[in-house]
Amino acid sequence: MRETGMIMTLMLKERKDVLLSVLFGFLAGMGAVSVFANSGYLISKAAIMPPLYVLTVSIALLKLFSFTRALSKYAERYYSHRATFTILSNLRVHFFEKIEPLAPRIFQRYRSGDILSRIVGDVESLQNFFLRVFYPPIVMLIVFLATIAFTMYFSVYIGLILAAGLLLTGFLIPAMFAGKHWKIEGQVRERRGNLSVEATEFLYGFRDLKIHQKLEQQESKLIAASDHYISGQEKAGARMLFSQSINQGVTMAVSWLVLGASAYLVTVGELEGVFIAMLVMISLTVFENAVPMAAFPNHYEDSRHAAARLFSAVESDEKSEGEQAEQKGVILDRSEPWGILIDHVTFNYPGEDRAALKDVQLAIPAGSKTAVVGPSGSGKSTLLQLLLKVYRADTGNIHINGRPVTEIDEESLWMGTKALLQDQHFFYGTVRENLQLAGDGLTDDQMKEALAHVHLADFSLDDQVLEKGGNLSGGEKQRLAVARGLLKEGRLWLLDEPTSSVDVLTEKKIYDHLFKEAENDTVILVSHRLTGLEQMDRIIVMEQGKIVETGTYEELMAKQGYFYEMKQIEKSVFSA
Amino acid sequence: MTQLKQMAQEQKKSRSALMVSSFMIGASIIAQAWFIVLIVDHIFLNNGAFGETYFWLGGLLAALLTRALFTYVNGRTGMKMASHVKSDVRKKLLNKFSRNPLQASLKGQSGEKVSVLMDSVDEIDNYFRHYYPQMIQSSIVPLMLLIAVFWMNWVSGLILVITAPFIPIMMIVVGKNTQKKSEEQMEKLTVFSGRFLDILQGLSTLKFFGRAKEKKEDIRLSSLDYRDATMEVLKIAFLSSLMLEFISMLSISLVALEVGFRLVVYEQLTFFTAFFVLILVPEFFTSLKELGSAFHTGRGSMGAAKRVAAELEAEEHPVTWGDISLDTQETPPAISFRDLSFSYGGEALALNKLNSECEPYSEIAVVGKSGAGKTTLLNLIAGLVAPTEGEIIVNGRPLNTYKETDWYNQLSYISQNPYLFSGTIEENIILGKSGNVTRAEVEQAAEKAGIAEMISELRDGYETVIGEGGRGLSGGEKQRVALARAFLKEPTVILFDEPTVGLDLKTEQILQRSMKELGKSSTIITVAHRLHTIKNADQILFLENGGLTAAGTHKELLQESEAYSSMICVHQGGEAG
Repeated sequence: MRETGMIMTLMLKERKDVLLSVLFGFLAGMGAVSVFANSGYLISKAAIMPPLYVLTVSIALLKLFSFTRALSKYAERYYSHRATFTILSNLRVHFFEKIEPLAPRIFQRYRSGDILSRIVGDVESLQNFFLRVFYPPIVMLIVFLATIAFTMYFSVYIGLILAAGLLLTGFLIPAMFAGKHWKIEGQVRERRGNLSVEATEFLYGFRDLKIHQKLEQQESKLIAASDHYISGQEKAGARMLFSQSINQGVTMAVSWLVLGASAYLVTVGELEGVFIAMLVMISLTVFENAVPMAAFPNHYEDSRHAAARLFSAVESDEKSEGEQAEQKGVILDRSEPWGILIDHVTFNYPGEDRAALKDVQLAIPAGSKTAVVGPSGSGKSTLLQLLLKVYRADTGNIHINGRPVTEIDEESLWMGTKALLQDQHFFYGTVRENLQLAGDGLTDDQMKEALAHVHLADFSLDDQVLEKGGNLSGGEKQRLAVARGLLKEGRLWLLDEPTSSVDVLTEKKIYDHLFKEAENDTVILVSHRLTGLEQMDRIIVMEQGKIVETGTYEELMAKQGYFYEMKQIEKSVFSA
Repeated sequence: MTQLKQMAQEQKKSRSALMVSSFMIGASIIAQAWFIVLIVDHIFLNNGAFGETYFWLGGLLAALLTRALFTYVNGRTGMKMASHVKSDVRKKLLNKFSRNPLQASLKGQSGEKVSVLMDSVDEIDNYFRHYYPQMIQSSIVPLMLLIAVFWMNWVSGLILVITAPFIPIMMIVVGKNTQKKSEEQMEKLTVFSGRFLDILQGLSTLKFFGRAKEKKEDIRLSSLDYRDATMEVLKIAFLSSLMLEFISMLSISLVALEVGFRLVVYEQLTFFTAFFVLILVPEFFTSLKELGSAFHTGRGSMGAAKRVAAELEAEEHPVTWGDISLDTQETPPAISFRDLSFSYGGEALALNKLNSECEPYSEIAVVGKSGAGKTTLLNLIAGLVAPTEGEIIVNGRPLNTYKETDWYNQLSYISQNPYLFSGTIEENIILGKSGNVTRAEVEQAAEKAGIAEMISELRDGYETVIGEGGRGLSGGEKQRVALARAFLKEPTVILFDEPTVGLDLKTEQILQRSMKELGKSSTIITVAHRLHTIKNADQILFLENGGLTAAGTHKELLQESEAYSSMICVHQGGEAG
């Protein structure tokens, strides 16, 4: 409830559009009722030979109601959709404000990566809250009340029958079906997930299945999952259809009652016969406004769950991060290179039993150049993320420039760091816009120079970049990221395999330039390749979260230990 | 939409059911109007007694309930059709994929195929659930209503016949315009709507650059731009409904005017006829309008149907098998290639007239640049694709004359990136073996593959769930699970695609040791990326552009083939410098 309250507040920011939607919705609904009421009246009146002017007025009114109805419907659609999209914009901004302080941690917490599309999807489904949950019941209620008031004028009983019909079709029946809807939908989602797993295994594991002769078994598993899913879909659909049909049946029964009652009232002299047709037509029409209510529970539940998911995603983090945010941290001095001390750090990813870092102990002097190498999954990248406060160590602590990292203001830490982690993001826009992230007041010449240093001189600053850099090759993206890093301020360089997709020759040239730029800065380079490490002050070799060897290139090669063995294998691997 | 229509027409029973229920809906609408008019006429004009209307009231109730009932039946039939088609299409797709391993697994489009199997099939749903039943209904009900109106009052009928065609004409004109407009706006729309996701995805990057806060305004503006662009398209759609509304309103008013005047001025009609017509006319237009909105939902299915059809119609290259038993003795079979050629379609041959022999127990290394045809060769031997020309000879007969099961019982394929299925580690190792397997055998295989120690460190040991939704394993660990599968299976032919990057030291050592061990009882054909593998091979097949340039041992090739020795030199030279 609290969640929908929040959405409501965001929605009511667009008071004008909301009111206009309701107003025109009301006019459109009333227009329809009036048209049919009028035509019923007209035809009855005509039957008893009235003076011609009565007919002319009635027909003029009929036209007026028709046009009112059509135009109001148009206006209602226009304003309600406009309001919906404006609300969507408010929602997005609101959630961005909530998520922004939690980044980048929140994305690491959900390592699956689809959290983002889920957030976007949930926000998008909340736009339906206004269009399908909030205003249709209001319009329905007002139209009904006005109609009931009108019919009361002719007959109290008819008015009461309509009110009972409203209660049934607008509230009781939808509520009756609401409860189980979410459960069934949940089942369908689960079955879909199941099918998706089976389909993925079938196609991605095809070769292994084929060779191990398990293909047919998997095929029948998949078919079973598919049929299970389809029957679930059908069940959910049938339930929905059933609730709609019950609603329709009740609506018709109400119109039937209206007809019977008015017929009876006429025979006992409590109602003029000329109004029967009108009342029946009203009853047949007014319930069209209750039709959206059949789908109301579904939309309501969807919105509620989407809102709950969104809030739980941003709130559980808010609490834990809240404590950190309170103590405004120490601002680091960015004019000097920083030294780093990693003091017996152990770290576990949440929910995994093996430690990603085990008792790591390392001192990195200011201005030194350190390489971290090791097989994939050995904890190299995790180490960099701990340095950037993306994660907090379970035990032990990290000191930057003599200060424990927990006390440091993270913004000042990031401002003073050239962080080239993996998955550098590029935004839809131009090369220039993407480079300009690195700092204010960058000139075109500066940017072109940076591009030249990473051998992207043939890029124009006006070149288009697609979302996630989709139109760039892996190597181009990495080089563009390096260029962006070069343009940024900061004297701590954290480089996570920045050139793994760049050919060896170009890589060497880029490194030469990088290390020239970073001459007096602190550099930590994570590398999979073991080439070009000769000039590093120190090489750290990691395996399974532990440091297994440290030393200069010569020392490690002379020692003929782990590094030496890795080097031998690398030499023997053909990349041809 | 033709494929969809065909699928619908194949379901004759459901189609007839839809027709019958549509007819019943039409009949009940007419009966409903008839009884209403009868009752009103009786009470209002004839000043009849209420008691005389009981029968008609009963009839009206029956008509109303019939209408609700058959609306339900109509919807339910559509749903059944949709379920039937979806299930059927999935089976057809699966069938297609199983018959064509190449199509399913080798082109690297598995993700796309999963999406066809899941989403495209689901999207077909709308066509059968909404569009098709509505189309049948809309082709029967308005016609019935029209006949009823004509029968009672032909002038009203004529007005309907003249005005109704404007509705489809309007729909077509407006539909074309909307499409044009939305195509124009499409690019804008995708950009604007993608902006939010784009910024969220880049949030970490933005934070590290200290730029996150200023993006708020960006989100607001792009969302508002999105709104404005969408409203442009929607306005046309709304305008089209407005026009439809006007047409039907105009037509209804015309009819009202007509019956009114003929009732009052000319006294040519009775109240009964006039009221009856006046109730039916709006129903007539409602039914036509519903078709329009159903058409809209049905259109979404078209793209999906096209994607499904494209998959189903893709060219087939099935692999055929015979029924001769392959002698499953301990000795590995002798394998040779005769003019073995393969093409992925198009002019270029992935493999061109390969001739060679593989002795039992030998180690064969396949060497060459990427794209030389190495993986194609492994896939041909594995029977995942059929040769375009030439054949693979096993123990003197073509491979495709043997039973499929017999060949696969002999074979293991250890790929660079072995696939782990969702299930326990034990289940993943057992994948290799048919029949009963004891835990002790699994443990022994894991021991040989050097993964037993790691498994024992896990809380759930062999019961640890891995794969999708389970625990992730590193690249090295996956390789070792694949090795354990091979140790359990004890094949006589092993196809091995050596990793192109260095794994952790332990796995590298285990790989070398294991291949030596497995080689004692089998023939090993390796796509080799490591110098020691090549040096140890009994025979090297050196491929260039699909052709076998040279064959022999490392020493022989260094002397005989310039291309080979220059490749080795470049590799070692590159390392030195």
